[in-house]
Amino acid sequence: MALSRRFALGLISAAALAGSLVPAAAEDTIKIGMAAPLTGVAAEVGHFQQAGAELGIERVNAEGGALGRKFELVIEDDQTTNPGIVLAFSRLINRGDLVAVLASLRSTQVNAISADAKRAGIPVFFGGTDPSLTQNGNPWFFRTRPNDSFSAKVIADYGVNTLGKKKWAIVHSTDAFGTAGAKALTASLKALGIEPVLVQGFNNSQADMTPIVLAVRQSGADIIASYTPLETDVAVLARQFKQFGINAPWVGSASVASTTALQLAGPALHGTFAVADYNSAANDEAKVYFDAFSKKVGRPPDYTSAWTYDSIRLIAEAVKKAGSTEPAKVREALLSLKDFKGAEGTYNFDQNGDGLRGYNIVRNDKGTIVFERHIAFDK
Amino acid sequence: MSLLPQLLFTGIGIGSIYAMVALGFVLLIRSANVVNFAQGEFSMLGAYAMVILLTGFGLNYFVSLGLAVVAMAIFGVVFASITYWPLRDRGQIPVIISTIGATILLSNLILATYGPSPEVLPGLFDGAGFLVGNVFMDSQYLTIIAVTAVLVGLQYLIFEKTMVGKKLQATSQDKEMASLLGIPVIAMIFGTFAYSAALGGLAGILVAPILFVSVGIGPLIALKAFAANIIGGFGSIPGAICGGLIIGIVETLGASYISVPYKDAFAFLMLLAVLLVRPQGLFGERIAEKA
Amino acid sequence: MTRTASSTGRTALYGILALAAVIAVALLAPTQGYYLNIMMQAATYAIAVAGVVIVLGYCGQLALCQAAFLGIGAYCVALGTVDYGLPFFVALALGVVVTSIGGIFLGLATLRLGGHYLAMVTIGFQMIVTMVLTNWISFTRGPDGVSGVERPVLGPLELGIGSHYLALCLAFLVGVTFYAASLKASRLGRAMQAVRDNELAASTCGIDVFRTKTIAFGISAALGGLGGGLFAGAFSYISPDQFTFNESIVLLTMALLGGVQSPVGALLGTVLLVLLPEWLRFLRQAYLAVYGAAVIAIMIFLPRGVWGLVADRFFKAAPVETGPVPPLPLLSRKGEASKEIVLDISGLAKHFGGLKALDGVDMAVRKGSVHALIGPNGSGKTTMVNVITGLYVATAGSVKLLGRDVTSFAPHERAKLGMCRTYQNIRVFRGLSVLENVTIGAERDGNDVAGAQATRERALAALDFVGLRDVAGLPVGDLPYGHQRYVEIARALAGSPEILLLDEPAAGLNLTEKGEMAALLKRLKGHGLTIVIIDHDMKLIEQVADHITVLNFGKRIADGEPRAVLAHPEVIAAYLGEPRNEAA
Repeated sequence: MALSRRFALGLISAAALAGSLVPAAAEDTIKIGMAAPLTGVAAEVGHFQQAGAELGIERVNAEGGALGRKFELVIEDDQTTNPGIVLAFSRLINRGDLVAVLASLRSTQVNAISADAKRAGIPVFFGGTDPSLTQNGNPWFFRTRPNDSFSAKVIADYGVNTLGKKKWAIVHSTDAFGTAGAKALTASLKALGIEPVLVQGFNNSQADMTPIVLAVRQSGADIIASYTPLETDVAVLARQFKQFGINAPWVGSASVASTTALQLAGPALHGTFAVADYNSAANDEAKVYFDAFSKKVGRPPDYTSAWTYDSIRLIAEAVKKAGSTEPAKVREALLSLKDFKGAEGTYNFDQNGDGLRGYNIVRNDKGTIVFERHIAFDK
Repeated sequence: MSLLPQLLFTGIGIGSIYAMVALGFVLLIRSANVVNFAQGEFSMLGAYAMVILLTGFGLNYFVSLGLAVVAMAIFGVVFASITYWPLRDRGQIPVIISTIGATILLSNLILATYGPSPEVLPGLFDGAGFLVGNVFMDSQYLTIIAVTAVLVGLQYLIFEKTMVGKKLQATSQDKEMASLLGIPVIAMIFGTFAYSAALGGLAGILVAPILFVSVGIGPLIALKAFAANIIGGFGSIPGAICGGLIIGIVETLGASYISVPYKDAFAFLMLLAVLLVRPQGLFGERIAEKA
Repeated sequence: MTRTASSTGRTALYGILALAAVIAVALLAPTQGYYLNIMMQAATYAIAVAGVVIVLGYCGQLALCQAAFLGIGAYCVALGTVDYGLPFFVALALGVVVTSIGGIFLGLATLRLGGHYLAMVTIGFQMIVTMVLTNWISFTRGPDGVSGVERPVLGPLELGIGSHYLALCLAFLVGVTFYAASLKASRLGRAMQAVRDNELAASTCGIDVFRTKTIAFGISAALGGLGGGLFAGAFSYISPDQFTFNESIVLLTMALLGGVQSPVGALLGTVLLVLLPEWLRFLRQAYLAVYGAAVIAIMIFLPRGVWGLVADRFFKAAPVETGPVPPLPLLSRKGEASKEIVLDISGLAKHFGGLKALDGVDMAVRKGSVHALIGPNGSGKTTMVNVITGLYVATAGSVKLLGRDVTSFAPHERAKLGMCRTYQNIRVFRGLSVLENVTIGAERDGNDVAGAQATRERALAALDFVGLRDVAGLPVGDLPYGHQRYVEIARALAGSPEILLLDEPAAGLNLTEKGEMAALLKRLKGHGLTIVIIDHDMKLIEQVADHITVLNFGKRIADGEPRAVLAHPEVIAAYLGEPRNEAA
């Protein structure tokens, strides 16, 4: 019964085999790791993320790389799960030859690797928008999307100051994203002296939203804000708002303006507003990226990939500026970058590692997403 | 303004969906003593088949519907020959586990083929519905309620009044005896799988305009349909219908009056309560194994 | 327990070796990074998977919420240490306690019912747990999860160091695996397997089926909690989406892949399924589809999992060492061919809806007699035995065993008072060996043996009595049909019954075998055992019966001495109305 020993030995040889499957790359490239959901529920998004990062690599290499070396991407699948990203991330770090790592778009996944990332000692870029992620004193975390305290501020600012609405109903999914977003929006409204008339959570993937829609109608709200990640939920909500005669303006998180939601909900979403950290009309870099991505992938890019593209370019810029790939120097260089123009906006990292402080407001004009305006804050 | 009538309408609409899936489920229990955990995947596949025929090939709605239902019936036979037939003599649990395996296989095959983005499937009627007093009547819910009612009626007639129905019942009660009496037991069982898959597929096609077509709709409906079966009484046809309706109504009312985030818990809390108080379910008979 | 002193010593040695190896490996393991993570995941999951082995593999109950218990255990440790300042090991113990209580409660609610009920209810429970972990934000911190779980120092182990913590997890895993393996060979484990193979036969062998299932589920839940608690410490961050229904299916598949009836197999399955996704990354999305197909294929082609293959190849069933055993003490009960009534039945009725299968039957069985119960097909004989042994609840009337009214007793309570039976359709425990089958009979509560050694000797003596001692080590399914009948009889005899009920012992036997059966019955009669026998074979009945009761259409139509009864006009009419059918 020396099975447990056999088990342990098996594990070691198996793990060694798994490790040997990683292809050996050329010595002289600057390697950037990336953990992305290539399988699982977010597999499609994972491939966009990958395409964005590859476009970033192509561009920096076309511009000559840094320190006379080209850049190279090393990808691991995180299976869209927390245990998956923990394994994928540790596998990347274990290589020991990476300059920086791009992690997840999902806040819970970023949370899952938080402790490992702190120990890893190289810059870790991510797109999760939960504000608290950069507040754990991790010097290696860099966020290349604006966090939800800014999306909340922008929604509140636009709704109150531009649309002039005071009676707010907030509907949100009860996952990490929805809960954090609703909390931030409530706080932002409070800062403007407004208490929402309704804050209503629901689980992702609802067959029917009647109870929620009726609650919104009962509340007498004159504006609706939503934080929900799933397009199907957005579409069901939109349809039922229309059915129950609710025509109050709706300013939602990014999913409200996503291509899939537009396709599913059709006219029910016409006239709604959404915050979008990426919009092709927002600035020149965004336009450049739009063209490159559309050519490569065959469909327009969105927020899921622009941040990986920007992250790669930021790393290249920082390596150039630092004149070294030494993590501490790259980190210093990142923090000292001023007004770096990316597809997502203009980057200025603060000490927490937050690079962006603004969002675009976009409007659904009879099925086409049009750029309204960019709202940014100093802090 | 009272919300109750609206909530009741919605609850019955949602409940009819659960009831329809529960109906396919209950037939397999009755004819083959199979608890099919992939029943929800039948609905998912039916909806995808409809998307392919209607949107992909651009066929007429009713032609697509007919073809999709037939395709699902054939699929039911294939499904039975793989997940049920080799395991038929090994008791209930190996078959349950193999249908769970089928659930994982089917949903991921579809995910790998079509990706996670949901597809749109139009309903039979273009209009969204109409208002009766304060109550908004969604046309798709009305369709579902009507189809469910017709199917329940038909099924009752077939089961209780025709020879095929009698043979099916005999098969479910005692396979050996039924085959001694000259009933083609194997054909009966495969026929039930075919019918059950067709019914599941039809349910999927009908709910698709409400839920959209994605891999997620299988488990979304199936778990509630299972609960409906237990609440109504395992293996009971009226039980499956009533169980489905009760769950639809209770969860809609519960969400509105108690808690939206815990909406999905109500069905299962009710299930636990029924098991504690009346384990045979509302319409079930006491189960006794033959010694 | 059937171990001799030397094999116990050997097991202990293996245990120490395994433990030493584990600790050495863990101390040499990397202190952080990918390999460490994957080893910790495998070790903590394997503990939870051992729970699946116990509830599904041993006891045959399908529960689909092992990830919920994993989650509860993990949250007890995470919240307990981070938010409530409990010491790590206190929180770990708390998790085990909470999960076992949860398991027992769920079991009490559902395990009286059939297998699929547990499956459904546990799915519901799983979903509710996920919902509560996600939505009760003020307590669980909601979807963000809990981070910063600290590990303590334990003697020489600084658990904060990854490899030291892995040593702890592996030590627990070794303990759990040995526990699960020894459980299988224990009385409780045998009872679980008997329940898995045949609930009815288990209950009439004196096993409290409901209690056994509930204990199995409780142990399984506790192991889920233990694995979860260690998991929380391993990754120091947990969130609700790690403990969903899908994870329950993963844990189930790990057990099935390795071999659900063997703790070692389950360990193998866990390691394979932790590594497989890593190896099969190139399959991408199709990986999960392959995974689903694998589940079906395992069920069809590898019912005992990968370990089943290995075990069949390398480990043959060891022959049972049989020294001399004392003879079966059947004689100890022998009274005079007395007037004392062992079984007294009056006015017994059993109605199924409108059908009156039994309608007011009286019958008295005297001590030391062979009492035959005969009647045409469908006359209610088997129903009568089922009501007497408690499988059916009587509609009216009473059953008295040794002067005690047992009408409302459960089958296992009647077995405890010394009522043992066999079945017309053989009901042996197919997954067990011949000796184990009979040992279960010897282990009935109320039997006059105590201790593992004596129980084993009693079982061997019973096998000796029916002439099957040579095949004691074989799986019972390998025996021919006729011999399986003798195993059933030996199982009943090993329990030293006050009364033995034989339901058509000669059914399905050929002529030679019938002759042997008659000889066996005569020997039993010669030992003064009280027997109730049902059979259609009048020759057999005439040879052994002291007294005959005849049923027709659920009523007693004759009762008395064999010669008088068989000459009774109504009995002749009943039998002539239908030709004698020997293979009913």
